[in-house]
Amino acid sequence: MFKHIVIANDGSEGGLRALTLACDLAKLHHATLHMISVEEIPDVPASIDEVIEIKTEQNHKFHDALVKARAVAKEKGIKLDAEVVAGHTVAAIVAFVKSRNAELLVVGFMGHSALFDRIIGSTADRLVRLAPCPVLVVK
Amino acid sequence: MMDNIWLASAVWIGLALASSLISIRLALSVALIEIVVGAFGGNLIGLPLTPWVNYLAGLGAILLTFLAGAEVDMEVVRRNLGASIGIGFVSFLLPYLGCMLAARYVLGWPWPQAQIAGISLSTTSVAVVYAVMVETGLNKTELGKIILAACFVTDLGTVLALGVVFASFTIWLLAFAAATIVVVALLPKAGPRFFALVGQRVSEPQIKFLLLILFALGGFASAVGSEAVLPAYLIGMALAPAFQHDPELPHRMRVIAFAVLTPFYFLKAGSLVEAKALVSGALLIALFLGMKMATKFVGILPLTRYFRFENREGMYTTLLMSTGLTFGSISALYGLTHNIIDQEQYTILLTSVIGSAVVPTVIAQKWFLPKIGLAKQEV
Repeated sequence: MFKHIVIANDGSEGGLRALTLACDLAKLHHATLHMISVEEIPDVPASIDEVIEIKTEQNHKFHDALVKARAVAKEKGIKLDAEVVAGHTVAAIVAFVKSRNAELLVVGFMGHSALFDRIIGSTADRLVRLAPCPVLVVK
Repeated sequence: MMDNIWLASAVWIGLALASSLISIRLALSVALIEIVVGAFGGNLIGLPLTPWVNYLAGLGAILLTFLAGAEVDMEVVRRNLGASIGIGFVSFLLPYLGCMLAARYVLGWPWPQAQIAGISLSTTSVAVVYAVMVETGLNKTELGKIILAACFVTDLGTVLALGVVFASFTIWLLAFAAATIVVVALLPKAGPRFFALVGQRVSEPQIKFLLLILFALGGFASAVGSEAVLPAYLIGMALAPAFQHDPELPHRMRVIAFAVLTPFYFLKAGSLVEAKALVSGALLIALFLGMKMATKFVGILPLTRYFRFENREGMYTTLLMSTGLTFGSISALYGLTHNIIDQEQYTILLTSVIGSAVVPTVIAQKWFLPKIGLAKQEV
């Protein structure tokens, strides 16, 4: 049923759980698994150094996430097409899903604070609304 | 409570900490959040601006400007001299003239107040431009390097204007200019030599050496009615090549500045915003923001055509060059603290500056992102 599955991995425990499930689904459906991770650069920084510092920190975080994800995929016998981009999380994931013509998006539950969730909504909420395909939110 | 210096310090640092936490949560710049938190603090609890707060805020502004100057990539400017000077100079001059003339002839502000409006809104935020370019990968392309170099030129124009326009033209100004030229000429070689001689130590002789130069030339600038940020930017530029070779020293200075100095500056800048002027001045804020963007368009867009940018890239470049934050806020605060503008005018100008950090960036990213889109990052 699914030929292309996208897993959005934010490097958290929830992201890893979502990846594990996405690998199982990809194996079951003989689908290609694409992984996207998004580095968030601050929107209105005051100095170039602030950008470089956050970029370096995010590079470290996603380097580790990528190593873990490749290990999980290898263990499950799945080939992983992984990409890290910088930008706005929701917009970047939606664009990636469209570019890969994916039929399913798998995301971990990327929650914020209760107040943030109530006012703006979590990343997962917005992905459910904006993604062009079914979204599986893994808790 | 605010008479107790330590409790007052706790309030200021508490607000700075809250700003840092909010900025991490929302992935927004801490500077912007500090201004907003400062505005709430100033209007809700009243943040008294004691002499020591003003001192720390002033030192924060000097270090911010110095560090901005130290980020100038002279090699990039040199390699793209024509395009960067052309775009950068026009990007400063037209908004400066446009906003100044609008303030003078549309709003009837006296010349000095109109000058502050022009200078505050002439800026381009190098950091905002850089952040967007990292996302798109443009920072690695020739186009990106030209845009970045042009931003440095625009900043230089703003800092020069702020330093020169309100200076008293006496023999002492010439002496200050001569002293600055000598220091800027000697520092690229003398600075690294001194840094190597004393080495990196806990007592930080390298930082003390730089502070000595910044304070001495800043004091000289103030004495002749100029502004301490002018020599700070030029000293930063003079040391930029050395710092790019060895970024450890500016990094340590940045840590000190952003931990304990710039929060006072940005919180103070926000605390002076008048809530009621925000409402009554909404139209004027829109006018200044519109004028800044329109004049940047008139100046920069034709130049992007001349330098053979694609249409989309030209629009994108123009929008990014319309952003502003740090130097805009420094210029507006300079006007207020030197009694050139009043608090209502300050509120209008600062809010327009903040608007210019956000609005052009959003438009550029939403509708004019160059076709390369988001770049794959090497991690």
